[in-house]
Amino acid sequence: MLHIFKLLLPAVIPSWNFFDVIVPSPRIQYTLLNAKDDLPAEWHEFRPRPAFVSITKMLRRMFWNPCWNESLFLVSCAERLEEHPTQHSEDEIFKRLIHELNSDSYSSITKGKTHVRFRLVFIRREGEKLEEEVTYQSAAQCFREAEFK
Amino acid sequence: MNIELALRVTEIMMGFAFVQQSLEHLRTYNDERIIFLPRLLLAILLIAGFQTNWIVFILLGLGLIMLNRFQGPYNGGADRMSLLILACLCGAYIAPTVQWQEIALGYLAIQLILSYFISGWVKVINPQWRNGQALVDVFHFSSYPVSESLRDWAKSPQLLLIMSWLIIIFELAFPISMLSTTSLSIALVIAACFHFANACLFGLNRFFWIWLAAYPSILWFQQRLFDTI
Repeated sequence: MLHIFKLLLPAVIPSWNFFDVIVPSPRIQYTLLNAKDDLPAEWHEFRPRPAFVSITKMLRRMFWNPCWNESLFLVSCAERLEEHPTQHSEDEIFKRLIHELNSDSYSSITKGKTHVRFRLVFIRREGEKLEEEVTYQSAAQCFREAEFK
Repeated sequence: MNIELALRVTEIMMGFAFVQQSLEHLRTYNDERIIFLPRLLLAILLIAGFQTNWIVFILLGLGLIMLNRFQGPYNGGADRMSLLILACLCGAYIAPTVQWQEIALGYLAIQLILSYFISGWVKVINPQWRNGQALVDVFHFSSYPVSESLRDWAKSPQLLLIMSWLIIIFELAFPISMLSTTSLSIALVIAACFHFANACLFGLNRFFWIWLAAYPSILWFQQRLFDTI
């Protein structure tokens, strides 16, 4: 109960410090493996943003934007994993990653693969250039057997 | 606008925002549907005006369940504003007198003013915002731009410097708009346009709808202040 109260307090007494500082920004990358102990070879960005979004689509997203809002939640989970690692944040990322890997749109790249790992890459500006730092890497998880409800 | 009307319009606008949010969750997982399907039905009842004094309390309870389910807000500031509005509406319903009811809704109005003013303050004291670098960084590498093509805006630092200062000046000047009904109306239209732009560029559609739901409170609050003076 105390925990929920702690979560509620920032809503009832908000700080309103939106975008006060531009913090390092996380990207979630995943790699597909043939077996649990395989070494990662190639990392792919999870849900890379599209090259272009039309005005019409932007207007439609005013009313229906579930995928993007879920991606923003995953950004929160990544930031939480960086600040205060919890199993919950890792589970939430795995849950959505595995769900998507089992969808038809990923069938060509998941063929013959059984396990997945993800890592967090934080991008920050150092002087004039951007630097990337891997801050977290998950254990391998089988995505073939996993079933989330 | 009297307090009863302000409360009712707030309920309706918040109800529509909750319908929009809840529908987005129905396409996902069972453990989310179990929260958001009741939330959708309750939001519809709220819009219809059915037992709204009970509905807001149940919605607040569901809000706490959501906080626990996602171990914090699912959608950052939008969820926090949702809870704030719900808490203020609950406060207004349990208030023993009209004065306490006014304090509950007045608190929401003051928080709305602070949401702009503090956002402006934390920017103006940050040199990165004052020289435009912060907004360049937002477009350059933050998680928010909805497409890669929007990242090209980072190549226009002069434009983003102007935009940074327009945002800072507007947010800091927002409380001054309380001085007249015309200036407040203009400020709220500009603020809505600002949220609309954020929704289009950064995909923050939920912010747009829920911040609008807090606007009736400030319109009532200004009238209440004028009546007192």
